[in-house]
Amino acid sequence: MARTKSDPKRDLLQGTLDLLILKTLDLQAMHGWGITLRIQQLSENVLQVNQGSLYPALHRLEERDWIRATWSISENNRQAKYYELTRQGRKQLAEEKHNWLRLSGAVARIVGA
Amino acid sequence: MRSRFLSVLRFLFRRRDLEREIDAELRFHLDHLIEQNIARGMSAADARRKAALMVGGVEATKEACRDARTGRLVESLLQDIQYGVRVLRKNPGFACTAIVTLALGVGANTAIFSVVYGVLLRPLPYGHGGQLVVLHQNVPQANVFDVPFSVKELADYREGAQTLQSIVEHHTMNFVLMDRDQAQRVDAAVVSANFFDVLGVKPLVGRTFVAADDAPGADAVVIFSHTYWQSHGGDPGTVGRIVQMNGRPHTVIGVLPAIPQYPVASDIYVPTSQCPTRSNPRFIDNRNARMMTAFGRLKEGATVEQVQADLSVVANTIASTHPETYLKQDGYTLVASPLQDDLTRRARTMFLVLLGVAGFVLLIACANVANLLLARLLKLERELAVRAALGASRLRLVRQVLTESIVLSICGGAAGLALAPVALRLLVQFAQRFTTRAAEVRVDTPVLAFAMLVSVGTGVLLGLAPALFSSKWIESAFPQSAQWSTANRSRHRVRGALVVIQVAVSVVLLAGAGLMIRTFARLQQADPGFAADHLLTMRLSPLSPPFDTQRVRELADRIIVKVRALPGIDSVALATSFPFNPAGVVNGPGKISFEIDSQPPARGDVTPTTDVRVVGAGYFETIRQPILRGRSFEERDERTDPGVLVINQTMARHRFPLEDPLGKRMRFNVGTNWTPWQEIVGVAADVREYGPGQGPVDEVYGVFNRGFAGRLIVRTALDPASMEPTVRAALREIDPRIAIDNVYTVERAQYESMTSPRVMMLLLGMFAGLAALISVSGIAAVMALAVGQRTREIGVRMALGARVGSIIGMVMRQGLVLALAGIGVGMAGAAALTRLLFSFLYGTSPTDVVTFLAAPVLFLAVSAAAAFVSARQVVFIDPLVALRHE
Repeated sequence: MARTKSDPKRDLLQGTLDLLILKTLDLQAMHGWGITLRIQQLSENVLQVNQGSLYPALHRLEERDWIRATWSISENNRQAKYYELTRQGRKQLAEEKHNWLRLSGAVARIVGA
Repeated sequence: MRSRFLSVLRFLFRRRDLEREIDAELRFHLDHLIEQNIARGMSAADARRKAALMVGGVEATKEACRDARTGRLVESLLQDIQYGVRVLRKNPGFACTAIVTLALGVGANTAIFSVVYGVLLRPLPYGHGGQLVVLHQNVPQANVFDVPFSVKELADYREGAQTLQSIVEHHTMNFVLMDRDQAQRVDAAVVSANFFDVLGVKPLVGRTFVAADDAPGADAVVIFSHTYWQSHGGDPGTVGRIVQMNGRPHTVIGVLPAIPQYPVASDIYVPTSQCPTRSNPRFIDNRNARMMTAFGRLKEGATVEQVQADLSVVANTIASTHPETYLKQDGYTLVASPLQDDLTRRARTMFLVLLGVAGFVLLIACANVANLLLARLLKLERELAVRAALGASRLRLVRQVLTESIVLSICGGAAGLALAPVALRLLVQFAQRFTTRAAEVRVDTPVLAFAMLVSVGTGVLLGLAPALFSSKWIESAFPQSAQWSTANRSRHRVRGALVVIQVAVSVVLLAGAGLMIRTFARLQQADPGFAADHLLTMRLSPLSPPFDTQRVRELADRIIVKVRALPGIDSVALATSFPFNPAGVVNGPGKISFEIDSQPPARGDVTPTTDVRVVGAGYFETIRQPILRGRSFEERDERTDPGVLVINQTMARHRFPLEDPLGKRMRFNVGTNWTPWQEIVGVAADVREYGPGQGPVDEVYGVFNRGFAGRLIVRTALDPASMEPTVRAALREIDPRIAIDNVYTVERAQYESMTSPRVMMLLLGMFAGLAALISVSGIAAVMALAVGQRTREIGVRMALGARVGSIIGMVMRQGLVLALAGIGVGMAGAAALTRLLFSFLYGTSPTDVVTFLAAPVLFLAVSAAAAFVSARQVVFIDPLVALRHE
């Protein structure tokens, strides 16, 4: 199949993926595969990041100078592209985190009421 | 901003590295997935397959990654352009046709636009040219407009005007200038001392006039125009030189820069105090001695409307203070109009019509190329579908089609720009007849910008139409065959409509051209009223100013006697002008007020006016203008005061409908005074003095019995042009100081007088031909394509026994239906639009029957021929091959 749009129900909210990537990279530099695993793991398998959205997102964030990439050797001795947060990225993370908490709190209050 | 730019550059130059990185990154991800799957206990093959499924379309992901980069847009644009150029190079036939078509369209528009811009739109080359106004004195009820100003009137307006900084005057004179022993007749402009300051013109060398130059008794000074200076060596030491004029030494004080001169081009400029007429105290004191044109410069912040209101008040005051001069019943108004509008009034309609026509040609060119593009998209359909399947976004495909058409139109535009100067040369000659601004016409930045805009605009238009259509097919990447045929049908309709538009516009242009051809034919058949062949004329300017009546009289007699005696000369006459004189054709008939003794003006009557020509004995015989009643001028008339008159037939009919004009007397208001009463001794046949297109006007011929009529007219036995050296030699023998210029054969003047209808005919004819060519090729192309698409159907028909002839007929009918529809629409359009040509037509109605029959018939014939040629392709269809055809 030529078209590879994932099931829309499982698509992450616009901008949420960026926040997840930034948060994941807050702890340490990681490659794309590592980010996939970490998100899956931390969300207890609720969130599955599709490769088709992850890598374009990484390129987009790099283009915005929120993350920067370096090639280095991975745990199993292969060349891998590692992403880490820039200073700007940290600022962005703080801001997006604040926004998210406010938004999810608000949604939770309505839905839970 | 800078980092953006750098990242664009990085992207463009490190493209290969980036590709490799994306590849490596995705492979890394995939490998981990496979490992994970194996760890979950799958077989190697299974793990690989599952991983590939989970990952999905690698190419689409890559494309999305590339899209995330800033430089992406620039890169894909470059790709599109490369692709566009490649496609065009692969289809040279299509590309050439499209580019040539567009080049003609853009070239025509650019050429016309450069003239329109140069003449109508370009700001005047003067300091704050927008602030300059021309003043017109009108006597509306007497139907007299643009009356020149007298010194008194100018003084009144200078004093009364609140909204003008200053008012300057301008009039022209002919002087004979002696420079280094060479007599030359010069067109002199006599202007106020501050004329150049008000217009904002700085001299190239030396200085312009100052107030002291204009004071009575000041040293005589003169300024050379750039053209005159150039044609006399362009010596920078000219300033300070002494030249002789009007019997006085004049010092050259300056040279003007190379700017177009307004209101007319002159050789030299002198201040008012040096014009013998203008400085005469009697002239200055006479409110009715009118000769000058007046210009003004607006005060800061004033508008033309305010100036108009202001000057109208002054005009009313003048009229009420001098009721004997400004007759109440005639009315008297002053109109201030912006100089820019005034200079181009005569050219405006014509060039706007031409611009409209050129726009039509471009429209046809566009429709034609759009059709070609649509046809090509048919072939491209499959490729587009494949590209869509491979992950190209819809926007990207639309953009690609668009880029291709823009590349096409820019190529066409560039080629058109190369064509424009050729057409421009013809147009400038044409424009010169209407405005001195023609000299300013050139291809410069605004014109280039226009050409660019037109080309890109055409490209976008051309691309968008098919692009929008193609996007429909892209929507369904693999269309079902049913959808295909409906899409085809709707596209057929679009293409048919495009052809109908082309044909319709062509027919409109063809009708316009037809009307101009008819006009021109009528003009050539128009009887001038005299024998224009074998006539040679030249302007003579004796050095001695025409004040010594006796000497001038003798000179005239000697010229007549000497030239008449030359071999090959049949007859000779002197006059002030001659029929078809180019200067007269441009300016139109004069308007001199007159009275008839048998018809005393009643109170409240508007003063009648007529054109007056002064001619010598032998004039009517020389040009062979028949005398219908009474007699012609004889030599004794030249020696008697107050002289006699001959009127033309039109005048006799207008002014003497009930009585015999012979023996009646007339007198004329010549600015200063009324002339003595003169008797009418003859009625001459009508002559079209002002060009074949101008019907005869009221004409009075006065006999030349004072001053010097400087126009020598000779009737020759052989080719008139060949007699020029002989006549010149004879004149040199009489007096070497007679300046000779303005040599014409009357036939050439006649030819020149028809320049504007001729150029209009040529231009419209060219445009119409171009349009017809393009649209007929459009019909042929559409039909060729239709035959191509119906190959299978035609094969079946042939296999079933249809004859080739009937199939050709069937195909041709399809083309002719389009042509007929277009012709119908075009005829309706022509009936509505040819009215715009009204002012250019002569002896032809805007809905001339012959034209309106010929245009469609001609077009139908041409399209039938084109249709037949393309329909004949069916002859080459082999039924067996055709049946297997897709």
